[in-house]
Amino acid sequence: MIEPKIQCVCGFGCGSSLMLRMAIDDILRKHSLEANTFCGDVGTCLSNPCDVIFISRELAERIVDRAEVPVVVIENFMDSSEVEEKVLAYMNKED
Amino acid sequence: MKNGWEELVSIDNIDVRVEAEDWKDAIRKAGQLLLDKGDIESAYIEDMIASIETLGPYIVITKGFALAHAAPCEAVKNNAVSLINLKNEINFGSQNDPVRVVMCLACVDKESHIGKLSKIAMKLMEKDMIEKLANCDSKEELYKTINAVKEEA
Repeated sequence: MIEPKIQCVCGFGCGSSLMLRMAIDDILRKHSLEANTFCGDVGTCLSNPCDVIFISRELAERIVDRAEVPVVVIENFMDSSEVEEKVLAYMNKED
Repeated sequence: MKNGWEELVSIDNIDVRVEAEDWKDAIRKAGQLLLDKGDIESAYIEDMIASIETLGPYIVITKGFALAHAAPCEAVKNNAVSLINLKNEINFGSQNDPVRVVMCLACVDKESHIGKLSKIAMKLMEKDMIEKLANCDSKEELYKTINAVKEEA
């Protein structure tokens, strides 16, 4: 399987999205899963090639209608059980 | 850095039991610590507030915790982080309300702060960390909690 590209998105691609990326990387490591994670900002994220977008609820509304890849909404970026559940749900679908 | 320990937030950039009227005031008070040090200009504080007005309260990334930040810009002089806990809970209009801890992040570009912010993220993911930060009564206690300074035996 080719490593999926996971884009973590916040307002500017350098603050909360990085927090989310760390949480996702942590879960991937825990389950020995391989994926490419990177950060994006809500203004330009749709033009960055990726396989899935992870984003907060407030920002998801701004892109979900136009997104051509699955958009996964994370309510609580630091809640490892929520992040784990949603990352695994996505990764298992990919297999 | 020694023994793998790195200061994540300096004691000057910490305050506790801060009184804030509303979410804007909470961000201003967290930002003021960086303004006092010359790490940012006041325009950056207004940017942080404007970004929430435009994009919504998505910066409340976990229960009780707001990560105030805006895009890197000329009003940011140095990469810097401040951390306050609030005397009163403040609502930002997020599903993760009420907020009790505010971190203010200023970065000069999109990359140079990543190492430190990653470490902060790992710290915030520790069990009950936000609760612990919210309950600190002194700057020293908050400093030790966020930086995980080991108590002298």
